Amino acid sequence: MRTYRGLMRYLEGAVPYILMAIVSAPFLTMYIGFFLRAFGEGAVLGILPRKWGFSNFQFLWKPIAWGLGQTTMWTALGNTILFAVTSGIVVTVICMLAGYALSRVEFRGRNFYLVLQLVLHAVPGQILLIAVFFLLLYVGLLHRIPGVALARASLEIPLGIWMAKGFFDGIPWDVERSAMVDGCTRFQVWYKIFLPLVKPGIAAVFIWGFLFAWHDFIYVYTLLPGTIKVMSTLIQSLLATEVIDYGYLAALSLIYAVPPLALFVFLQRALLKVPVFGGKGIG
Amino acid sequence: MGPSIGLIFFFYFIPVILTFLIAFTNMGRTLRWEFIGLQNFARLFGIGARDPLVPKVLLNTLLYTAGALPVTIIGGLLVSILSMRMHPKAGLFFRTLFFVPRALPPVVWGFLWAWSFEGTRYGLFNAIRTALGLPIIHWFIRHPMLIVILANGFLGVSLAMLVFSSAIATIPKDYTRAAEIDGATEWQVVRYVIIPLLKWPILTMTAWHLMSFLNSYVYIMLITGGGPYYATEVWSLYAYHAAFNSYRYGYGASLISLLVIVNVVLLFVVVRAFGMRRMLTKGKIEL
Repeated sequence: MRTYRGLMRYLEGAVPYILMAIVSAPFLTMYIGFFLRAFGEGAVLGILPRKWGFSNFQFLWKPIAWGLGQTTMWTALGNTILFAVTSGIVVTVICMLAGYALSRVEFRGRNFYLVLQLVLHAVPGQILLIAVFFLLLYVGLLHRIPGVALARASLEIPLGIWMAKGFFDGIPWDVERSAMVDGCTRFQVWYKIFLPLVKPGIAAVFIWGFLFAWHDFIYVYTLLPGTIKVMSTLIQSLLATEVIDYGYLAALSLIYAVPPLALFVFLQRALLKVPVFGGKGIG
Repeated sequence: MGPSIGLIFFFYFIPVILTFLIAFTNMGRTLRWEFIGLQNFARLFGIGARDPLVPKVLLNTLLYTAGALPVTIIGGLLVSILSMRMHPKAGLFFRTLFFVPRALPPVVWGFLWAWSFEGTRYGLFNAIRTALGLPIIHWFIRHPMLIVILANGFLGVSLAMLVFSSAIATIPKDYTRAAEIDGATEWQVVRYVIIPLLKWPILTMTAWHLMSFLNSYVYIMLITGGGPYYATEVWSLYAYHAAFNSYRYGYGASLISLLVIVNVVLLFVVVRAFGMRRMLTKGKIEL
């Protein structure tokens, strides 16, 4: 009797694992298949490679043929980094300034502005592409990485401001008061007192802007000419060709996807260090 | 503050207004344009020269949203509840696993699906089928919409399960303990204790993803490109194709204008239902 009950309890404890295994099996298969494909060589038996090796990673030292022209992985990677860093810096500077103002300065329309940021985020930038296209065209920033990065950065600013505000909210008022009593101006307080205190916050906001620009496909694809390739458009254009070498593409995708995954881990740590969103945060 | 308003003004407000303006023009490949009044909209609503694709695209959009939303919410609930009932380490492992879609670049996630369901023996699932001696299936011809729904639904799951998990973590142990002592089964605890307590997170996530799915097209574009034969062409993707593939910017903008109006109405309803205060105090971040 006792063993029977113990067995039942044991089985009951296993139920979540069994269900979860069923739900996640296709995804695990996809991820594992992805890795096997990237590192596998030659003919493939089912999904198991015959031989292991790095021949799929030949783009690291060879140019990539695409259409009639060719490019290299490094050019695309350089463009991606340029695009993402520009976007990250824009997001950081603006969010840190605006976040501070919203957290500390009382002014008319402050609440309205805060809600507006959220509302704006709900109308996704991707559907406004047509108008952004013409806007950049008229300003003369179309087909240039900094211009497109600016447009991309503006999409992440609304939530970035909320993040930054959360960081600044976590700093006690006393710190600021004593600095002001000692004769600091508002800007000096921001620059000398607050920025050093929210360093993890700055990192988080920067990574925020950086990550989304790094991930971006649709803005780059639409607003940059086909001759300027970043990683995402490079992979997409290789995927759109007639003959697809999946191993090669898997390897290229892996190189492209690893930095953001690593940054996500870092972002999560940084978010945990600063009291954000009063415990409701999901970073 | 100043620059942020400037930039947001520049890339949000002007685009919205510009979208509406372009919607009334016949802007085409040459970028020359003149106002043509309501012609674009007349075409859309099938007055005069009508666009035969609009009903199909509309149906696709509704089907896609109606499919992806339950996947997200039910999937999110399932993953979060199951993972919270596991050993903490195992739970963390599975949550990480389901978070990966959101941490992957869209192109890579798209590639993963396009490759897994590729209709030749080079696709992942067909390769497995071949190895097992089963015939290959042309996934994208047989079930294009299902693939698109699942691919996007599980992106939603990444966010929803995070929100639900953190909400479950805040439920006091006493509640579930008390129910267990009263003789409730595991399922009853979930159904009558946990899910009612998750009402707000579920509602927020539903509203959030409803809007997100209505507007999303990037992943569909990457996975199927709207095909085969417009089977997965949703409203926003159709607008994109109209503007940037067939260079009918005016027509694309009129499609988008309608979508923006739908968004604003929905947003109004959501804000009304949830209240301004709630939105202010419970800012959610999207990862």
